[in-house]
Formats: sequence, C-alpha cells, structure tokens
Amino acid sequence: MRSISLIFKQFSRSVLLLACFTVWGISAKAQGDAAKGEATFKSAGCTGCHKIDTRMTGPALGPTLASETDDKWIASWVHDSQALVKAGDKKAVKIFTDFGQSVMPSFPSLSDGDVADIVAYVRADWKKIQDDKAKAAPAGGAVAEDKGPSDLVVYALIGVIVIALIIILVLNRVTATLERLLGSKRLLPEEAVVAEGAAVEADKYALVKRILKNKKLVFFIIFCGTIAMGSWTWVALWNTNVHQGYQPVQPIKFPHDLHAGVMQIQCQYCHSGAFKSKNASIPSLNVCMNCHKVVKTESPEIHKIYDALGYDPATQKYDSLKARPIQWIRIHNLPDFAYFNHSQHVKVGGIKCQQCHGPVETMKEVYQYSPLTMKWCIQCHKRTDINMKGNAYYENMIAVHDLIKKGVKVTPAQLGGIECGKCHY
Amino acid sequence: MLAMNKFRILGIAVVTIAASIVTTSCNDKRSTGWEYAPNMYEKIAFDPDQKNPNFKDGKTAQLPPAGTTPVGFTRFDYPKTTEGYNQASIEVKSILFNTSKNIEDGKALFMTFCSPCHGKTGQGDGTVVAHGFPAPPSYSKGQSSRGGAMKDLTDGKIYHTITYGLNAMGSYASQLSPEERWKVVMYVHHLQTL
Repeated sequence: MRSISLIFKQFSRSVLLLACFTVWGISAKAQGDAAKGEATFKSAGCTGCHKIDTRMTGPALGPTLASETDDKWIASWVHDSQALVKAGDKKAVKIFTDFGQSVMPSFPSLSDGDVADIVAYVRADWKKIQDDKAKAAPAGGAVAEDKGPSDLVVYALIGVIVIALIIILVLNRVTATLERLLGSKRLLPEEAVVAEGAAVEADKYALVKRILKNKKLVFFIIFCGTIAMGSWTWVALWNTNVHQGYQPVQPIKFPHDLHAGVMQIQCQYCHSGAFKSKNASIPSLNVCMNCHKVVKTESPEIHKIYDALGYDPATQKYDSLKARPIQWIRIHNLPDFAYFNHSQHVKVGGIKCQQCHGPVETMKEVYQYSPLTMKWCIQCHKRTDINMKGNAYYENMIAVHDLIKKGVKVTPAQLGGIECGKCHY
Repeated sequence: MLAMNKFRILGIAVVTIAASIVTTSCNDKRSTGWEYAPNMYEKIAFDPDQKNPNFKDGKTAQLPPAGTTPVGFTRFDYPKTTEGYNQASIEVKSILFNTSKNIEDGKALFMTFCSPCHGKTGQGDGTVVAHGFPAPPSYSKGQSSRGGAMKDLTDGKIYHTITYGLNAMGSYASQLSPEERWKVVMYVHHLQTL
C-alpha cells in the first residue's frame, strides 16, 4: 500500500511539474520572447526610426505600446502601415498625420510571432526604464539635499571666525597694556605711549636717511627698477593685440575633442565655408541638428541649441518666433586691415587646418594656438613650397617663363592682362 | 655694516625681479590681453557670422527674401513629400558628366559630409553610428524606408534626399551646393555597386 502511494505521489509530482512547464511555456509564447524581440528589434532596422523612451522619426515605442494593447492591430501596422492608412483606420491615420506623414516601411518578412517578441521586449524595457526612474527619483532628492552647507552657514562661520579674531586682538592689546603698566610703574600710561610713538617716528626717518646716504644702494635700486620696468614694457608691447592662448568661455560647451577627435568628423563638415569662401564660418544650428535631433537629446547643453532654435523635442516642431542666434565668442580675429582667405589656403594651398589652428581635435575648449601676427604669416610664406601642378595660374606662369628663356616676346595678354576684371572691377 | 648692505642689496634685487616676472607673465587665458587702437582690429566690414545692428534680428547672415532665387542657383521645385520624391526620380537627371574629376570631387565631399554616418564605403557603419546614432541602411545591400532596394535609388531620389533629408538624416542643402550634391550623387552611385 505504502509503496503504491509513494509511486502515485512521485507520478503526480512529475505530472504537476510537466503541467506547470507547459503552462509557463504557452504563456511565454503568447506574450512573446523579450530576448528574441530585442535581437529582432536591433537587426530588423527598427532602431533607425524608433527609440523606446523618446520620439525620433517615429513615436517613442515604450509609452505607445504600453497604451496600445491590441497586439493584432500592431502586427498589421508593422506588416503594412500604408494599407491601414488607405483603408481609413482612425488610429493609423492619426499616427500618420501626427508624424509628418513619414511612411513606415512595410515589414512583411516579420511573422506575428516576431512582432509579439518585439512588443514584449519594448514593454519590458519601458517598464525597466520607468522602474529605474522611480528608483532614481528619491535618490536624486537625497543628492539634492546633500549639496553641502548652505551659504548662510558658510557666512555665519566666517562671521564667527572674524569676531573671534577681533576678540583675540583686543585681549592681546589689553594684556600688553597691563604688562607695560606693571613693568614701568614710574611712568604714567599717557606719557609712556607718547614717548614710544616719538621713538618709532624718529627710527623710521633714521632708516630712510641711512638708506639715502648710501649712494651705491640708491643707484642699484634705480638701476633694478629701470631694468624691471623696461623689460615689462618690452614684453607688454610685444604682446599687445596678440591673442595667442586666448580661451574664452563659450555659450555652449562644444567639445571639439569628442566631435573632431573621437568621432573623426572632418572640420569642414561644420566649417564648410573653409572650402569655398574667405570665412571658415561658424555652423548654423541646423548643422548641429543633423545629429542632435536624434542623439544626446537629454543633455542640458543640447537643450541650449533647442532653446535657441525654438525647437520642442517633444513635438519636433520649430517655432521661429522663439528663435534667437547663439552668440559664440570670436577667438581668432585678424585685424580689419589684413585680408585673409580660407579657401585660398585650404583648397588651393592644401594646408591642413591644424597647421594654423593647432591640435583642435584634442581641445575640450578651443584656444588660439598661433599668434596670428604679421611675422608669423610672413615666416610661413617664406618657407612653404608651392605645389604648381594642377594649378592653372602657376602652370601658365611657368609656360610664360619658358617663353622668356627661349627669347620669345611675352605680352600682358599672356599674363592675364586681358582678364575682364583687370579693367571692369 | 658692509655685510648687512650686501644682504639688503641682494634682497631688493630678488624682490624687483620677482615682481617684474609676476606682473609680466601673469596671463589670463580668458582675456585677449592688451589692445592698442582697437578700431583698427574690430571688423567694420561685417563677416557673415557677426552681430549686425543694421538688421532687425541683429544677424549679418540674412535669408534671401521669400520667392527669390540667387544668381547662379539651380532651383529644385519638388516638394518634401513621397510624391515629390517619386516625381523627382522620374524627371530629374544629373547635370554633370561622369568624369573622373567629378567622381574624385564627389568622393572628397562624401568623406567630409556623409561618411560620419554612412561609413567610408557606404555600409552605414560610420564613426558617429559607432557612438549611438541610428545606422542608415547600406547603399549596396540595404532596403530603402520608402520602398525598394538602396542599390536601385535613382539620381532624382538621392538628390531629393540630400536636399531635404529623410527620417533621422537632416537636410544638407546648407552645406552642399546643387553642383556639389550632384558630385556626391555620382559617388553614391559608385558605392551602390559595392
């Protein structure tokens, strides 16, 4: 009897366990596999337009899928969103118009199971993000409180220290006076003070007189003074209007070391004027937005760009009435009487930006690397080799010089003398 | 007495030298330092990125008035919609000849303006993508979000996308002139065959 009941017990246990596993498996299947979903989410190209927590080209999937529970509808949207829109599905049309009529590509290759996996992943990840936020909130509060002593406490402490010092000084004076009284009983206190003051005054003059009498010393002091003042004047004059090392605080902390250094974005991506104009140009904010519409959208420095543009990251709309230019501070300033052309140096001369601007790709904050003095310009113009190959102007010049060597007559026309601009400028 | 004088002389000399070093070498990097005749240094002729009190919004760089076309500028009158995109695909063809010089220029422009995201070989694996920017599809293997394979994109479609941007990509109209855009299109056609 006992053995039968034991066998039955074991059997029922294993059946129960099996039942449990199947139920769990079925429920997991119905809900979708989050891990598989994550892999599909990243490989199928969803990340090109969607983020879990913020709006990008498409809606922020976390909150959207948390409120949208009709999984069948989601699957049909993913398979062919335009079909839904054309059929006049209210939800589909609303999303289509809310997101600037950008078309979500169809993904017929994703099965219903794949979509369920992705949905499971998105919901799980969104829940995790919210839990983290909830956890971080009280911690953040504690950090805010633990900012250190307030200003009031600091001022109170300084006040106490000052008062203590004054008390110590006063007490010192009192003890000194008392000691003097004890030491010279014969003199009245007032007399003693007067006598002492006079003695000190006499001493002072004596010292000055003694120094003035020493002519060698007087000469030496004047000599040292002249040298010091002279060298100071020399250095100050040389550095007047030379801004080398100037590193002002810019309105936005733009790190060149990250953009040009780590990410190797070429200088001209932003300073595209250096290719084709006199001015290398400070990029307008739409160039920043090429990337920062999508990346680093939470950074307070990036929000300065948004504010300047009147851009609202939540709706991705620009309000030109709120827009105002960002006032970057000019670092490199050639005097108005000197003409300098970037395209001439970058495009024709083929000079690297770093030759004049220094290792900008390692600078967190940009400073002026070169002195930008006339001597500095001249020095480079004296030492640099000219690459005449492929340059029509210099090739013509060489051809003309060959003619001269051969003894052929050379006319102004051959040296650009009949260019329109020579007369009609 | 003499020894004392020597001591004093030495002390004064040290103090004066130290003082002169301190006053001359103390350089504040946040300041431009001394300026002489600043009216010769500050720009009177306005640079495009300079403040300008002559305009209402205080900027030198003004937009051209609405409805005008700058001299030498090629217009592109297709709207920023899927219809405009498909229309451009049919009607717009490159204005440049397929010369090696143009392709060379297109490559240089592609490296500067496109490769940070699209990658040097157009596979969508640029350095910015490695730092978290959503990856664009490969020119040779990817699928366009507006349908069709990336390798089948036409002149007009690529030009339309460079001009207006699409999805996460912004407009490059301010960085690339129409002619430069055509050079880039030419190089993208080369990358489509990879």
